[in-house]
Amino acid sequence: MIKIEQEAWQLMVEHAQKTYPNECCGAMLGPIDGDTKTVRVALPLENAYPGAQRERYELRPEDLLFAEREARKNGMDLIGIFHSHPDCDAYFSKTDLENSCPWYSFVVLSIQKGQFHHANSWLPNMEQTEAAKEELEYPHA
Amino acid sequence: MPKILIPTPLRQFAEKKDSVDVDGATVGEVLAALTAAYPDMKKNLFNDEGKLRSFVNVYVNDEDIRFLEKDKTAVAATDTISIVPSIAGGKIAGGK
Repeated sequence: MIKIEQEAWQLMVEHAQKTYPNECCGAMLGPIDGDTKTVRVALPLENAYPGAQRERYELRPEDLLFAEREARKNGMDLIGIFHSHPDCDAYFSKTDLENSCPWYSFVVLSIQKGQFHHANSWLPNMEQTEAAKEELEYPHA
Repeated sequence: MPKILIPTPLRQFAEKKDSVDVDGATVGEVLAALTAAYPDMKKNLFNDEGKLRSFVNVYVNDEDIRFLEKDKTAVAATDTISIVPSIAGGKIAGGK
């Protein structure tokens, strides 16, 4: 399961709401203990998609390299990636799946009319053909 | 020897090490040495045709090998190699 701590969660929601109506993205860092991943630090990153960002996001590999280095420097792990779906549910779309990586958790935040609505976490498979829902715990306002 | 930094989810295939020193003069040789030492890591990095999976980027220090000489990129003993995922997405193209 994946648990997101208050400070990291607040930053993720703020980043998603501020980026609305476009999609936001970022990295999640923290310790992994057995099957429990704890997100302690959220790292908002720039959406580098060159087209309509209301429907797409893209992370620069060098930004992920930076996130990975930050994690190592602070004795943490890169746990996963978050991004937002403006005005639609927090499903894992075909586009999300085809451009994912099976090593990480993918947290999707649904932002409805500019406000956080709900979130889900997904674990894509190796062939990027399906994603399983992961148990997600986040602070409620 | 060049050092390969192992991303957290792949450490389970490398005796839980966060980095591994391997022999090799090119990125291709270094990755081959890594997967020879830790065969379970291979399917995470390469597809059935033996090509790097679409979501795998490799950096030598701060340089993406796609903009160098790909798997023929030379590596020195002091170089650090990072394995970095390629990630994008978006709400379009189908939902639940």
